[in-house]
Amino acid sequence: MSNQEKSSGLPYPVKLVVGAVLMFGGFWLSQNAEQYLPFQHGLAEKGIPLDLGITIAVIGVFLILFPVINSFYLKPLADAINERTHALESTFGEAESLRAEMTKMKSDYEQRLVATEAEARAQIQAQIKEAQDLRQSLMADANAKADELVKRAQQEIEAEKQRVLGELRSSVVTLTLQASEKILGENMDSDKNRRLVTEFIDKVEVPS
Amino acid sequence: MGGLLSTQTNVLASAEAVSSLGTAIYVGLVLILLFAVLAMAKKGLNGRVFKNPWTQATEQLYLFIENMCVGIIGSHGRKYIPMIATFWLVIFVANVVALFMGFSPTASLSFNLGMALISIGYVQFEGMKANGMFGHFSHFAGPKLGGLMALLITPVIFVIEIVSEIIKNASLSLRLYGNIFGGGKAVHSMNELGHSIYVPFGEFLMPIKLLTVVVQALIFCLLTCVYLSLVTGHHDEEHGEDHGHGAPAHA
Amino acid sequence: MNVIGLGIASMGVAIGLGLIGFAGLQGMSRQPEAIGKLQTAMLIALAFVELVFLLTVFVGAPGLK
Repeated sequence: MSNQEKSSGLPYPVKLVVGAVLMFGGFWLSQNAEQYLPFQHGLAEKGIPLDLGITIAVIGVFLILFPVINSFYLKPLADAINERTHALESTFGEAESLRAEMTKMKSDYEQRLVATEAEARAQIQAQIKEAQDLRQSLMADANAKADELVKRAQQEIEAEKQRVLGELRSSVVTLTLQASEKILGENMDSDKNRRLVTEFIDKVEVPS
Repeated sequence: MGGLLSTQTNVLASAEAVSSLGTAIYVGLVLILLFAVLAMAKKGLNGRVFKNPWTQATEQLYLFIENMCVGIIGSHGRKYIPMIATFWLVIFVANVVALFMGFSPTASLSFNLGMALISIGYVQFEGMKANGMFGHFSHFAGPKLGGLMALLITPVIFVIEIVSEIIKNASLSLRLYGNIFGGGKAVHSMNELGHSIYVPFGEFLMPIKLLTVVVQALIFCLLTCVYLSLVTGHHDEEHGEDHGHGAPAHA
Repeated sequence: MNVIGLGIASMGVAIGLGLIGFAGLQGMSRQPEAIGKLQTAMLIALAFVELVFLLTVFVGAPGLK
């Protein structure tokens, strides 16, 4: 027991040497058990087949076996398991970051989509507004032109009417004077008469 | 009936038959088998997923032992994994050898006593490392008592604890020895029972023996873990308690 | 006579093992989430009860000669 305690903190080659010494010493002790461990015979008679030489040899064997098995298989296995765990973790982390990136891209895309849509709508609205403005201005233009046309036509009509009325009036004066001349047989076409007739016509003329 | 009784009477009489050279040969056989299995398993270690069945089996075993160590001893139990795993592998392979051969290292009391001595010795060593030499032995003396009680009871508890530490060796080794050797003897006796009609009744015990193979390896490792947790588990609380109660006890 | 004594010892140990298995299974069925802890404790108890029989054999069986 004490050997195990002392050698447990010892470096690797010392452990191996101590283990080998214990192993062969135990084997030798077991071979010469009659000489050094005579009480074992009594134990075996009683049904307890104890061989302390083998026990010591086994302790030596295990002292060798612990580091050998540890470095032969257990350490590589633990390393492989740890490595696999780390690989899995890193893969998961990578997938997580990829997913986050994808989510970000998706939200970006959605935002851009929304922005594009709003822009398009604003453009359409602007176009519609422009078109409406244009329509209103055109309509106002057309109205103004039509009004102007109507006004000019009325002015022309008025002017024509005035002209016709003047002509008519002078021709009426002339006719009246010619008729009066014929009636009176005398030239009455003087400025004074003409003025008289005009005054008369003015008087009888229906105010328009 | 007399035949049955006569086989029972020499159950343990033939126990001393195997010499040290025979034990050494069987230990060598077990180690060769063990290293053959481990070498086969080592080939499948590359790659992210272990496809080799031997590698998968040893990986499961490693994870199970890691769970056991961490669960029973605590977070610092990870450093005992190599020892526990080595015990498990050796005991398991030796038990499997005992299924098919007439003898096996674990069917020898001397071999088991060696393993138990290593186990308990390591437990004592770890206890001394964790609690200090004085702390470890004061752990044996039970609870701190004052006055006359300390004089009367503490030595008794101390002796009982020392004896129980020695008994732990015997219990670990005797359990393994009794199960494996006794299992072989039971098969032998039942084969004798059906000898006259040429039916090997004993071989029908094989399923139970298969169970024993696993359970005994498990129990050896489990008890080693439990003993380790007893001496190292309450390290921090024990230390604080020692300081708290130590001063008035000395004064 | 000694064989009968061994039989009695094995009977007692068998009852003990049965009780441990009974209690363990009952606890496991009541609390399936605690199976791991219960199994560990059950196996330790089984090992200690079994040891009693083995000790009996080692103390008693040599007298059979």
